[in-house]
Amino acid sequence: MVPVIELDNVSRYFIVGDFVVKALDQVSMQIQNGEFTAIMGPSGSGKSTLMNLIGCLDSPTSGRILIDGADVKGLSETDLAYIRNRKIGFVFQQFNLLPKLNALENVITPLLYTGDVGVAERKLRAQMALEKVGLKDRMKHRPNELSGGQKQRVAIARALVTNPSLILADEPTGALDTKTGNQIMDLFNELNSEGHTIVIVTHNDEIGRSCPRLIRIRDGKIEEKE
Amino acid sequence: MAWENIKLAFKSMLTNKLRTFLSLLGIVIGVLSVVTILTLGNSASGSITDAIATGGTDLVTVYNTKNTSTFTEEFSETLMRNVSGIVNVTPMDSQQARVRYKDTIKNYSVNGVQSGWGDMMNISMAQGSWFTPEDNLSRRQVVVLGSQVAEDLFPGGDAVGNYISVFRTQSKRYLVIGVLDEKDATLSVSFNNVVFMPYNTMKLRISRTSTVGSYIVKVGEGIDSTTVCDNIQDYLDNLVGSDAFSVFSASTLSSIANDITGTFTTFLAAIAGISLLVGGIGIMNIMLVSVAERTREIGIRKALGASPRVIRGQFITEAIALTMVGGLIGIGLGTFISKLVTNLAGWSFKVSVPAYALSVGFSMVIGVFFGWYPAKKAAKLDPIDALNYE
Repeated sequence: MVPVIELDNVSRYFIVGDFVVKALDQVSMQIQNGEFTAIMGPSGSGKSTLMNLIGCLDSPTSGRILIDGADVKGLSETDLAYIRNRKIGFVFQQFNLLPKLNALENVITPLLYTGDVGVAERKLRAQMALEKVGLKDRMKHRPNELSGGQKQRVAIARALVTNPSLILADEPTGALDTKTGNQIMDLFNELNSEGHTIVIVTHNDEIGRSCPRLIRIRDGKIEEKE
Repeated sequence: MAWENIKLAFKSMLTNKLRTFLSLLGIVIGVLSVVTILTLGNSASGSITDAIATGGTDLVTVYNTKNTSTFTEEFSETLMRNVSGIVNVTPMDSQQARVRYKDTIKNYSVNGVQSGWGDMMNISMAQGSWFTPEDNLSRRQVVVLGSQVAEDLFPGGDAVGNYISVFRTQSKRYLVIGVLDEKDATLSVSFNNVVFMPYNTMKLRISRTSTVGSYIVKVGEGIDSTTVCDNIQDYLDNLVGSDAFSVFSASTLSSIANDITGTFTTFLAAIAGISLLVGGIGIMNIMLVSVAERTREIGIRKALGASPRVIRGQFITEAIALTMVGGLIGIGLGTFISKLVTNLAGWSFKVSVPAYALSVGFSMVIGVFFGWYPAKKAAKLDPIDALNYE
């Protein structure tokens, strides 16, 4: 089976003044369909760079990135936007909901960019996604009327709504208390058991260990695989 | 997507009402000035045309500018026979003269006209009656006074039946047989300050020449008087040369007046257009602020799959929505002000459709033009930078 994500000898260098910073150095890895993986490392280890590359927000200096078997090298901004829309569902540490829109409108937003989903279907799918994360009765609430945990649930619903190949979560429990964080992790586990492929990027040891698969990263290299 | 963008645009306009209002103000004032100036120009020129039309657009005056002897009383007939489109021609002489009644002496223009002139000019009498053909043939010493003349000389209103003296080398007494109604003349000739006497009386007693000063030509119904002007011009050019006469009609005046108001209106509208441009710069400014403020939102939207084109569309739509709302408010206010001014000035209110089309079109162009750069800036933002923007 074709892996959802395949990194083949990927490097990402940044030039800072006279120095070349090797944020990622010849990393190879695969994420299979249905896997629940944590990418863990201390700050500055290169995990954010890795996440940006997997999420098609950034391009590698060298190496190949394949998403569902397709190389993303040389794609235009518009093509990358298309892949982000269809293949990746982002969940951020700071939720990144649009403050002027209510929960339902926030979840609908990615479907607007899909371009081929009608108004009625957009609403239906967004309602279903919100129901799935347990926010059936909070659809008309704006982000500032929701708790941290609820906001993250809206964000997860937004990531789910396009039915992407991969849910990519960056420190999803980082802004939450332990109890709420655990509830969010429970939700990810539940989604994974339903077949969703999930990658969580974190520096939290506990969160990392709770995932079925753990990839440790340090100084731009993958240290160990479990 | 377009509809979603329009909804978003209004949402964003409503979240910051004061700022939206202030940035709209430039466009509102610009459009308001353009609409007001064009509508007022349109209404004024309509009123001028109306005023001239009441002065008789079916009349053409031919002036004998060099005292050419060809122009005699009998030449009226010649002119009528040789130029098409004319139904009547009457000669007229005009001289300045001193007029006295009792102790009052004043200078007036004295016009010698035939009795038919009265009908051609559509005169109406305040008192007494107009000349008869008999008055002319018999060279009777009778006069009809313009309203102002009658008021000056006979403050008591008892002009008819009294005698006045007219000095021109010698003094003669003339019986006042009538007084004309007061006639306002915006751009046509006023008769309020004129003393009229029969043409032949004038010729005998005052002008003492068989040369005619001018001819009043009446144009047939439904015939364009400017065409008749041209015909007369052609005919007389061959006969006496172009220096010897000049032809004038109210229609000529009307078209000149319209040209002038037109030029003036365009000039003012162009100045108002500059304020519209300034308004556009205000829109660009606010759009740049908006893009900077919403950098994070742009990053989120990009992460969710918005292409650069979609982001650009969102911000251009917002700029257009801003200018269009401003434009519509400006049109509303401009129309209201124009209505108010035309009411005060007593002009007939004439809506200027080009002004509306121009304002709406121009607002939209300004929206696209000044929204383009900020929108492009938004579209080109790097998603990672935008997401990490605080």
